[in-house]
Order: sequence, then structure tokens, then C-alpha cells
Amino acid sequence: MAEAFDYKKQILEPIKTMRSAPAEEMYLPGHRTCAGCGPALNYRLTAKAAGKDTIFIGPTGCMYVANSSYLCTPYAVSWIHAQITNGGAVASGIEAAYKILARKKKYNGPFPNVIVMAGDGGSVDIGLQAMSAMMYRGHDVLFICYDNEAYANTGIQTSPTTPYGANTTFTPPGKVIPEGKTLFPKDPPQLVIGGHPAVKYVATTCVSYPVDLMNKVRKALNVDGPTFLHMFTPCPKGWKFDEKLTREMGRLAVETGMWSLFEWENGVYKYTHIPKEYKPVSEYMKFQGRFSHLKPEHIAKMQAFVDEKIQRVKAIAVEAAVPTPKARA
Amino acid sequence: MAQEKMLSGCAAAAQGAKYAEVEVICSFPIRPYTAIMMELARMVANGELDAEFIHGEGEHAQLSVVLGASAAGARAYTGSSGVGVTYAFEVYSPAAGGRYPLQMAIADRTLDPPGDFGSEHTDAMSARDQGWLMGWASTPQEVLDNTLINFRVGEDPAIMLPQFVCQDGYFLSHIPDKVIVPELSQVREFLPPYKAPHPLSLECPVSHGPQIRPDQGAPMDAQRAATFLEVPRVIEKAVADYNRIFGRNYDPYLEKYKMEDAEVAYFIQGAHANTCKAAINRLRTKGLKAGMVRPRWVRPWPTQQIAEAFSKVKAVASVETSTSYGGAMRGGNLVHELRASLYDLEKRPLVTSFMAGLGGDVILIEDFEYMANILTQMVQEKKTRKHVYWIGFEE
Repeated sequence: MAEAFDYKKQILEPIKTMRSAPAEEMYLPGHRTCAGCGPALNYRLTAKAAGKDTIFIGPTGCMYVANSSYLCTPYAVSWIHAQITNGGAVASGIEAAYKILARKKKYNGPFPNVIVMAGDGGSVDIGLQAMSAMMYRGHDVLFICYDNEAYANTGIQTSPTTPYGANTTFTPPGKVIPEGKTLFPKDPPQLVIGGHPAVKYVATTCVSYPVDLMNKVRKALNVDGPTFLHMFTPCPKGWKFDEKLTREMGRLAVETGMWSLFEWENGVYKYTHIPKEYKPVSEYMKFQGRFSHLKPEHIAKMQAFVDEKIQRVKAIAVEAAVPTPKARA
Repeated sequence: MAQEKMLSGCAAAAQGAKYAEVEVICSFPIRPYTAIMMELARMVANGELDAEFIHGEGEHAQLSVVLGASAAGARAYTGSSGVGVTYAFEVYSPAAGGRYPLQMAIADRTLDPPGDFGSEHTDAMSARDQGWLMGWASTPQEVLDNTLINFRVGEDPAIMLPQFVCQDGYFLSHIPDKVIVPELSQVREFLPPYKAPHPLSLECPVSHGPQIRPDQGAPMDAQRAATFLEVPRVIEKAVADYNRIFGRNYDPYLEKYKMEDAEVAYFIQGAHANTCKAAINRLRTKGLKAGMVRPRWVRPWPTQQIAEAFSKVKAVASVETSTSYGGAMRGGNLVHELRASLYDLEKRPLVTSFMAGLGGDVILIEDFEYMANILTQMVQEKKTRKHVYWIGFEE
């Protein structure tokens, strides 16, 4: 019965250039994020791409605490706070409600784009269970991990995606532990791809590549089922860089191989924006106070980690043009 | 026509949910409440009930899923037992504060350690201050009826609160009894479709649960407290309508048994009340004027009605089926609010409490007789010797 029902899935068209992107903003000024905030810019681009028929779920994190002041939230679409633990589960309930209300003819509009905008903690740390279960159950939800590589609104504590060597308030460098953070980060896309057969589309984005980003959002939303975006969102406060350099940090991350842009669709990887020649990671790290305590041997360790990642990119890279959302057959 | 069936408390809860036409259900297995979800899963699988049946990955997720569903405008239903009830704890306050009138069935189970399937009310009672409606049934019939009454009260536009609909594990959840299953037309007359006032909609965008400043907190707390002052009016109307439409005879707040001339009385919630009534019958043949009051609600607590019910008795036994270690009376929970309710009476009865039925233990008629002896002694001595007696552990 459920399979045969037409839930009026939305189909979003590709965005060819920045100029042809919708003028309409769904994430408005008036929030309290820091100057140069990567996650806020990311939110704006994501909301613009998703459009008005969207519901955002906002687990606790910067994009809750700094955005959603009572009576002046920045969302021009419906939005609900979730606990940092349960973004995937709250989204599952919303999606299920729209399905049954449509089936019972209590709702006749387009099926909403249901998007969880979770930080790294709310997706691959304390929020991992709820995210994984939502994907396993196959809900038509886009789960976004906007990754600023720390618990930032609580005062920059390490998260599972904080890079090796970062100085956070839970990994301060000291005499005994000179490099600060000693662990290497989790790999969120691989967590999703590796264990969730219902997920057919996963991609990474970076705020410095807005057209690529918006099209990946649209492509993910056009898939009928769970999808995942891992979005790179530099954090001037947490990473301690000059706030005018947010876009530069994103570009350098891609150019050094610290971050790579790819899509994974039905088992096939496609990389975009592969540098002809990778810059050394020190080019990226030198702008950021969180790495300023590191000694050459620590930076060499980081370079070795990134070199290994680059080898993997080179092994399977199929360079693709700007990703193009396609209508379902 | 309404049909009479033999149903356990769990089966009765599932029937209640079915007739309430719940739209989103979220399950996770834990004994003993699981039987409710097994029954609903069967109904959804064979087309008896059109609902989204979601396999939550834990109780925290169960509550989160139904919260989302309720926020989007669907009637939502979940449940749990024991440590499942406590695992979901984070989400109770957001559900009540967000004013989502979802329902959670609880079939009580003792908290760990050690692992114990037996019934004890501590699991649900530990969530009593999270801003939900809460109450216990004493028969499978009352479980079904409370399921419908709670949706009606919780979804009232003036109330908008989630509901814990509780029943004792095993004693109630797994022992079948005669239950009158209603007609859908009766239920539809009693319970209008759920209409969320401000759902997460596309046409009229809303923000649910934004961040407030500290000075905005107290006004919201005061609003929630004021809502609870409105609940009695809504309960009274709902129960009156229920009695009329379904031919029942519920008091909105309390079941009172032989209280007209009672000199000593029990205060007890849940299914052990049935044994208590049998004990009262036996005590009365021996000449003791005993009675019983059973609260149907813990939240809102029927303060005034309890005070009136006990205004003429000489001694009261609060039978505790939950623990409050280190609490004011060093025993259970109920006695604290019972004593607070009686404080303003001109002639306060003597009050003591009995720890009984913990860990899923039965409370025997002999245990109630033992309590009666203590009450008689208190009346004779005109004083309360002890605030708490542990049944089976006293000299």
C-alpha cells in the first residue's frame, strides 16, 4: 500500500552558475553567528538550494544556539530544534507523519524536503545512533553533517572529526602531550557508505565551492530515500584564523588534500576539483592558531596522513564536472 | 456493537491505540510493555490499522520519533518499561515543553540492578515531574479507557500535553480480563481528530523550540504551571462524556471503595488495588471499617479530592509501590504528596506508609491485614509510630 502511493516528491532543477541561483533566501540575517562563520554561510547556501518547501531539523550545536534566538530565528521555512542526540529520529518522525497524513488525505501538498542540519557531534558522535537508524530505515531525509571540526558553541572542545594536532580546550598542548590532539579523526562518509544499504547518495562539499555545494544539496534531495552530505565549514573562532579568510581556508583545505570533494552515487565515486598538484598541508595549517604549537615532526605526521588519503583519491578518481541533479525517471 | 473480549492490559492498550486511530507508532522491545507493540505491529501488517510503524533504535529514539511526528501534526504513540523509561529521559521535557500531545504507554518494570522483570512503579514515577499528564489504571478495561481519555485531555487545545498512561507490569499487562471493546463510531464521537495548532508546515513556516534568554524562562514555566490548573476542568468534561458515550461510571480523579463510613483507609495506585478491595471485604466481616482511595492521576495530582476523601478517616496507609531513597518519609513517593494534600485539613488523619510490592512482589491479602493492624494500633494510640514499614521486614 505504502509503495503505490504518490507522495508528490519534489524535483529540484540544477543550478548552473552562481548568478542563476535562486535570489530568494531561506536563511535570513539576524542571527548571532560569529563574523566569518563557515556553518552560517553553508546554511544559507543549503537553504537557498532546498527552497521554500523544506523543513529543517536543528540538533543542538552552533547552528542552534547562535541562530535560533526566541522570536527572531533566521529560518524562512519551518524549523524544529532537536536534541544534539536525536536529529535523525526527530526527522524520521516528521517524515513518517507527512507520509501518513498524505495517505489519509489530510495533507495534499508537495512532500517536504526534510533536512537535518547537524554539527559533527550531532551526526557522528552523540548523534550517530539516531542518524544511522534513520538511514537504515530508509526515511526520505537528507542528513547533513556541517563539519567545523569541534564542539564550538561550548567553547571549542574536541569532537571525533577534530584533526590530529589541534589545540582544543579538551586537548590543550602541554609538556606531556605536546601535539594537543593525538587521535586521527573519524571518516563520516565512510561510516555512512560502509553500513547503510538504503543510502544511495553521499557527497562532500565545501563552502568555498558554492555551485558545487548547491547542486549536491539538490541532487541529494531529489533522491527518494536517505542521503548524506559531509560539509566542510571553517570556523574562525575554533580554528583561530582571521575571519576574512573563511573561503580561503576552504580552498586551501581542498588544494592541500586535507579535504576532498566527491560524490558517491550507487556505489560509484566521482571526485570534483582535484588539484593538479597538491600543496603541502603546512600551507593550510599555518593560518590557524589551533596548529601553531605543532613541531615539524607533528606536521610531518599530518602530511603523511593526508598523503595516504590523496593516494586513495588518485586510485579511484573519476573527475566529474559540476554535479547535475537529474529528474527521476 | 461494542464487544466483550478477554484482553490483557497490553492487548487493551493496543486496542485503545487502534481505536484512537494513531498515525505514527514507534517501537523498541523491552518486557513487559512489548506486547502492546507486538499487537500493533500485527494490526498494521494485516491492514486493521493504517499507521506508520517505525522500529526505533532505542527508547530515546522512540520518544524522538513520536515528538517529530506530533510536531508535524500526526497522532503519535509509543511506550516502554523499566530502564527503557529512564533511557528516554532526555526527551520527556522537550515533549512536554514543546506541547506535543503524544502518548506513551508504560507497563511498569523494576529498574536495574539487578535485572528484574517484576513490576514496580519507580520507573514511571521518576518521570513524574517532566510536565506530562500521568496516571495508573487498575484493570485492562481501564487501560483501554485511559488510552482514549488521555488523548482527549492531552489534545485539548487548552492543554496540549503528552501523557504517560501507566499500568502495572504482568499483574495488569499480562493477565487477561473482560474488556468491553468500543465501536469506532463511539470513539469518533468522543475523540475528535488531532489538529496541531502550529505544525511544521510548508504553507505557514514556524520555528519550534528556539533558544531563550534566562529572563524568558520563568514566563514559560508559569504558563505551563497555569496549564495544569486548566487540566481538571478538561478531565471532568472528558470523563463525563466518556461515561455517557461508553456507559461507564468513572470518578474523574479517584476510585473510592467503601469510604462512606471508613475509619481507616488505604491509599494505593494501580492493580494492587484489586487485592486491597478483597482485603477490605474480609476486614469488614471482622468488624473493621476499612476503605480505599485509588488515584487515577498522579499528574495533575488531585490534591483537593484526596483531602476531601480522607477528611473523615482516622488513619491512612499509603501503600508505596515505588522507592524514594532518602526522601522525607524514608520510603516511597506517594506518601509525600499524600501528606502534603492533607496538611490543610482541620482534622488531619494519622498517616503512615508501607513499602510493598517492590521488585514485582505480590501484595497479599494478609499484607493488607497487617497494615490494618498497624492502622488500628495508630488509632488506639492516637499517634504514628513510624513513617514507613517494610512489608516482610518488620519485627
